[in-house]
Amino acid sequence: MTTRIVGLLLVSALIACRRDKLRQADPSGAALSAAAAPQDTAFAGTTASVHRARPIRPGVPPALLRAVETGSGPGYDRVVFEFAGDSVPGYHVEYVTAAVRRCGSGDAVSVAGAARLVVRFEPARAHDERGNPSPPERERATRLPAVKDMKLVCDFEGQVEWVLGVAAAAPYRVSETTGPARLVVDIRHRP
Amino acid sequence: MTARLKPRLGSAAEATALIALVAACHGAPVEPCPSPRVAGIAAQQAAPVARPSPFDSAFAAAGAEFDVPPALLKAIGWVETRWQMVQGAEEFPGRAPVFGVMALRGAALERGAALASVTPDAARRDPVANIRAAAALLRAYAAEAGGDWDAAAVRFSGIDLPAGRVAYTRAITRAQGRVGPAAAAAACPPPNPGGAPDYAAAVWRASPNFNQRPADQTGTLHMVIIHTCESSYASCWSWLVNPVSQASAHYVVDEEGGEISQLVREPDRAWHIAALYDCALNRRHDCGLNGVQSNDFTVGIEHAGFASQTSFPASQLEASAALVCDVTRDRGIPRDWQHIVGHGQLQPADRTDPGPHWPWIAYLHRVQARCGEVVVDDSAQFNDASVATASVPATWTAADTTPDYYGGGYRWAPTQPAATDAAVFSFLVTAAGSRTLDARWTSGTNRSPRAEYAVITSAGVTLATVPVDQRTGGGSWHALGTWTFPAGWNRVALLRRDASGTVVVADAVRVRE
Repeated sequence: MTTRIVGLLLVSALIACRRDKLRQADPSGAALSAAAAPQDTAFAGTTASVHRARPIRPGVPPALLRAVETGSGPGYDRVVFEFAGDSVPGYHVEYVTAAVRRCGSGDAVSVAGAARLVVRFEPARAHDERGNPSPPERERATRLPAVKDMKLVCDFEGQVEWVLGVAAAAPYRVSETTGPARLVVDIRHRP
Repeated sequence: MTARLKPRLGSAAEATALIALVAACHGAPVEPCPSPRVAGIAAQQAAPVARPSPFDSAFAAAGAEFDVPPALLKAIGWVETRWQMVQGAEEFPGRAPVFGVMALRGAALERGAALASVTPDAARRDPVANIRAAAALLRAYAAEAGGDWDAAAVRFSGIDLPAGRVAYTRAITRAQGRVGPAAAAAACPPPNPGGAPDYAAAVWRASPNFNQRPADQTGTLHMVIIHTCESSYASCWSWLVNPVSQASAHYVVDEEGGEISQLVREPDRAWHIAALYDCALNRRHDCGLNGVQSNDFTVGIEHAGFASQTSFPASQLEASAALVCDVTRDRGIPRDWQHIVGHGQLQPADRTDPGPHWPWIAYLHRVQARCGEVVVDDSAQFNDASVATASVPATWTAADTTPDYYGGGYRWAPTQPAATDAAVFSFLVTAAGSRTLDARWTSGTNRSPRAEYAVITSAGVTLATVPVDQRTGGGSWHALGTWTFPAGWNRVALLRRDASGTVVVADAVRVRE
């Protein structure tokens, strides 16, 4: 466990230091996590839902999603959601079998891959107060070994939801970092 | 945008009115034409500066020290934070966090702190230092603007967007109880036929996020969905008119009920609720619509604020009720809890809005009152006791097995030739006048074909006894007739006096002016 945390911190540090450069060098973000690939490639993970609620207080603005990074390492793919501010908002991560719908229109959304992993944040938003989307990229054909595709399906009424199209419903794990606030989702390449 | 804060008029109020007028009439599709109706609602409320705040002495002292109107300080504190000490966190990249009652940020906080001879840290953490720094800053801004306090306030806001600056100035004006917007309303151009709001009092701010409702019966508009934005008003509508959001609502009501935006025409399909309809979540109403996308047949109304709020401002609820009265009247939607429904109720998997403190029963009473009607339910909890009350003997059994009742259920009793224990629905008439009465029941094959409603005045005079066939027509209102009633508690007694073998259903009586 300690090793894992240290590894995670190291990864975070690497991401923090290299993010901007890597973004420019490789807009897909693929290089990022390859560089940052940690050592523990055989985590057990879960296929059940992971939920963490945070209080929603009137007058306290929802957390702003600042960036989404994707990459692949040995044994698993990594998706990093970075927020402005000190901490990650509440989240809910779950494999779903029902159709994923846009939270406003109710339109069904299709993604590549055989399974769909939903990552939902609350209270959160993915646009600034002037209505500029943040991050501007709302979907990404990642084409990684596990994560094939991802789309933002909700940015409405204090909820932000991404759906990840994955090759199979493989075990995943979720971890948080602070300074900057990130939610890190690792999905194993094999079930 | 040509509305600048340059013109030097005789008074700040005139300048505000001019700004609002120029903005409103300049042709920008999103600029407000404030409505007399809604403005009237807001005007009945005491201006925020007239209410006590926790920082009154600090506003007064800082105003005197730096020669700034204390009412302006108080109004800015109200608009920025509702008089709360904000501990800032960076919310948007490149935009510094705000601090304190006055929401000071970044370089402005540093400058204000220097002018007030306090440390930046004190200006962030200490309310008195925060208000003094803001006052010193406003004094400097006003001096640089030739003494124009409105210009100083709008600069203080840090807002760049012209429409946002106009909205901010209006909010400050209203917080001080000044009447800028009403003056502008008279000068508003007639509505544009291509983009007039369905609700005359609304500001039209067109959203591209809509499509057509289905042409078949599933697209018939017959339900209103109540939401909270989980944000402020300006943030809410400006996001929902952005094509990137892929979301919208027909209407957005601001925090105080002073302004309502319409973003999508009612006949069009706005994008406010993801759920497929499930009648099990809605008192088993309209189960034929199960699986239909809920946007297809609903009108969505957003309210600035949060589902976690412990209460909602009365003025916001009143403005919302006036809007819902208008929508339901125009679209023939019954005013009950199956047709005016919360987002969270229909989408419990991931929504709670408008939250546990939305006052559903009182809210519906406001909607009904706006439409000139009173409903008397068989259960006290659904009645506004000041105008409606029912008395149902214990021989009548409570049930909710047949759907489409009013309130939480209905009562039934078997018919008997000699029964005298009527279910009595009473309503208060404050000044003698004409009223039309309607009755509602749930129907079934075992119902009485001759259920009698006796209409009795406050003086005890029976005006009529109206028989109805309860075997059909359940779930909707049926007129009993129109009579002139004296002032006082008049009543309708539903009798179960008939040959035995059937049942009579007592659900609700509606009284219309």
